[in-house]
Amino acid sequence: MQSVMNIGIMAEQAEDQKQDASNDAGQKPEMDKPGGGAPVDETADAKANLEEEISTGGKNLEIGNFRVFTDLRLPEFDMGHCKAYAADNLRRSEGNAFALVTDPVLPTRYDLIKFLSGVHMAGQIDLLDSAIAHWPIFGRKTMVLFFEKPKGGHVIVSSGKQRSINEQDIAASVVEPLMNVLQALGEKGLTHRAVRATNLFFGDPEGGKVILGDCASGPPGYDQPLVYETTARMAADPAGRGVGTLSDDLYALGMTLAELAIGRRPLANMTDQEIMDIKLSKGSFQAIASQEKLPLIMIEPVRGLLCDDPEERWGFAELHAWLDGRRTKPVQGNTEKRAARSQNISGKDYYTVRALAQGVAKNWVNALTPLRDGTVEIWLRRGLGDNDRAKAMADAMRQLQWAGADKRSAEEVLVARSILILDPSGPVRYKGFSAMVDGFGNMLSYDVQHGSGPQRFSDVIVRDIPAFWFGRQEGYSPEVQRLQSAYKNLRYYIQQKSAGYGYERCLYSMVRNQHCLSPMIEQEYVVDIAQLLPALEKAAENVSDDAWPVDRHIAAFIATRLEDDVEGQLMAMQNPSDEVEYSRAIISMLAVVQWRHGPDNLQNLSHWVARLMEPAVKVFHSKARRERVETEIPKLAKRGNLVELYNLINDEQERRKDQSEFVEAVAEYSEAESEVFDLESSGPARLEMAEKVGQQAAAFASTMIALLTVSALFLMHIF
Amino acid sequence: MAARGRKPKGRSAFSGLSVIASAVLLFMVALPTFITLTVGLLPSLVAFIFDRSPGRMMARCVFGLNFSGVAPYILELWQDGAQTVGGATQQIFQPLALSIMYGAAGLGWLLYLAMPPIVANVLNLSAQRRVTELRKNQRGLIKTWGDSLIKEVDRSS
Repeated sequence: MQSVMNIGIMAEQAEDQKQDASNDAGQKPEMDKPGGGAPVDETADAKANLEEEISTGGKNLEIGNFRVFTDLRLPEFDMGHCKAYAADNLRRSEGNAFALVTDPVLPTRYDLIKFLSGVHMAGQIDLLDSAIAHWPIFGRKTMVLFFEKPKGGHVIVSSGKQRSINEQDIAASVVEPLMNVLQALGEKGLTHRAVRATNLFFGDPEGGKVILGDCASGPPGYDQPLVYETTARMAADPAGRGVGTLSDDLYALGMTLAELAIGRRPLANMTDQEIMDIKLSKGSFQAIASQEKLPLIMIEPVRGLLCDDPEERWGFAELHAWLDGRRTKPVQGNTEKRAARSQNISGKDYYTVRALAQGVAKNWVNALTPLRDGTVEIWLRRGLGDNDRAKAMADAMRQLQWAGADKRSAEEVLVARSILILDPSGPVRYKGFSAMVDGFGNMLSYDVQHGSGPQRFSDVIVRDIPAFWFGRQEGYSPEVQRLQSAYKNLRYYIQQKSAGYGYERCLYSMVRNQHCLSPMIEQEYVVDIAQLLPALEKAAENVSDDAWPVDRHIAAFIATRLEDDVEGQLMAMQNPSDEVEYSRAIISMLAVVQWRHGPDNLQNLSHWVARLMEPAVKVFHSKARRERVETEIPKLAKRGNLVELYNLINDEQERRKDQSEFVEAVAEYSEAESEVFDLESSGPARLEMAEKVGQQAAAFASTMIALLTVSALFLMHIF
Repeated sequence: MAARGRKPKGRSAFSGLSVIASAVLLFMVALPTFITLTVGLLPSLVAFIFDRSPGRMMARCVFGLNFSGVAPYILELWQDGAQTVGGATQQIFQPLALSIMYGAAGLGWLLYLAMPPIVANVLNLSAQRRVTELRKNQRGLIKTWGDSLIKEVDRSS
């Protein structure tokens, strides 16, 4: 049976590979293995998927209330980087469900899954449920989202063409439902960040109102084509585009309307760099309008929604006014100030600060010279007439002069700060790292799970670049305040080197749905603390004798997810050479987790812990006590209760008694040792004393004999 | 310190003077007793002259037993009513008398020589017994507390 299944899986993977080969060479990878879920060109992807031969074998697995057919692909319901599979709802006979399998190496969005699960929201695809399950194609666990099948299919069909939506109907069938979704999410402080034409489905077979597809299967904005991102966020890496605000969703709505109006993705024939360049030089709306032919009726909302100034950008009030047929205030096409003369970096001329910021980030090494010699500052002052920015640049350069021995690091900080001076609302960019401050968590998660490692993130935090970003933000924003207080914790975590801190702690504290990346349990996709011990129980079956059940990732995961404070245990773990305290801290942590979240019986893990309790038993000094504990450990391990095991070595009264008795014993031993030393080393002194005392005794005896003789003679004479 | 150092010297000088004064007085008042004492205590006299050690323990030892040997003859002299110089001379030059007096002095000297080794042996035996007792206690502690006791002692020392 297993071999049949493997053959089926291999066949499917072969089919996927065949499709990859048939697509053009520049196409990005799709998710047929973990980590293959890079943002995809959905039009091409859907086209390829339709060609996929759909097997109708009988392989299925039950996940929660659903039966998922692992060999029955539904490419028409693929969303973003995730693939869809046929599924049956075992609880309800009516309705059609399908399963969307997420990429295990990309974090999902906890807040959205929690909010949308089991809730029907007009304009949004119904998320029926979510579950973590073993996915045979990946050979590991991942999160599976279950959706109600939209009755009308994709708005953009596989050929890349859209099914016709009348320009006159766009307001009612697209804008209204999407506004409803964004409003409902906005009320909860959430953002969709996956508003795009390729993520739209018709809610009914007649092609009436549309509904928005999934938004929770990956990092916010991860699957968005670059053109859908605002000028502020487009420079960030896809994983680091950040949660954003309602304003970012409205911008994406504007681009969606533009795509639906012109019938294909705007600027589709341009590369990402060209899209960025044209958007920065002309402004978003002008970039679209200059390249594409927008229907007259759509110009006003697209211009309003694609306004690059978030303050000027259309909100719900303007959209409602437009829907009601009222005129709204006109918005400026491009608010970006253009310099009279250009600033050259690596042979390319830049006229706006944002474009220059991007140029500096792309030419990290070559940009240092014009920044350091003041060319950019002069350009800002004379070419652009922006004295505030020029002064900030001069301050940043002055700080470079104060740099100590680490000149190179100071120069890198200067480049990073210069980028933030030029583009304060853009992402934090540092030597290839490019992420919005609210996207740090997902960016770190992506880097760690895709081989880049945490170094870039750590460098950014250690160099305190985000602090400069906060300093460059104008006005009061509760969101910025929240990010700032969270950032203070990150710095503290990164500065601590011991287990339970470091980048691991940052990762789990920033990304709520990040599964634990400990090599021991990574395949188990542990997202909630309650899943941790069962996963470790499973890992305990094949673990080496000398491995500890808590590594840096698990310590950080527990510290972040557990309701109880484990700082004491983490402190004790700072010194792994102190085996007694280290093992006690680990056992204590696991015991607290079991006490809080169960399960009651963890036999494998208990035996694993029992093996490692040898150092912890040393907490007792008395041999008799140790022997008693060592006899008890196997008995308690059989019961699978870590709390009892911990209590055995943590009987405070017994420990205190043992300790005080031990201190007394040490003192007694030391005194005895010292007395023996004195006695053994005092031979000559004793001889000297013996001579002196002997002489005195002889003198005394002699005197006494004389006295006695005289007394006796007198007495004899008298009597 | 200097004052403290001078004090015993003064007392010793006084003590020596008082001995000489007593001897002169005895010479004038009871010449036969003086002769018996002088001849009989000759070893003590020699010991006092040559013993320069603090406390002059050897001289005291010799004197104590020497005096015990002389005392019976002094008493015998005093019992003789005449108390003449001739009687005293005749008495002290008897070989037996001289042997008893000087033999007693010799015993005193031997006592002085023998006593320090005896005391040293006693002290050594006592120390060895104490060491054995302490080692036994230490072994008991190690049996109860194991090697960690030794490690802790090593660490704290």
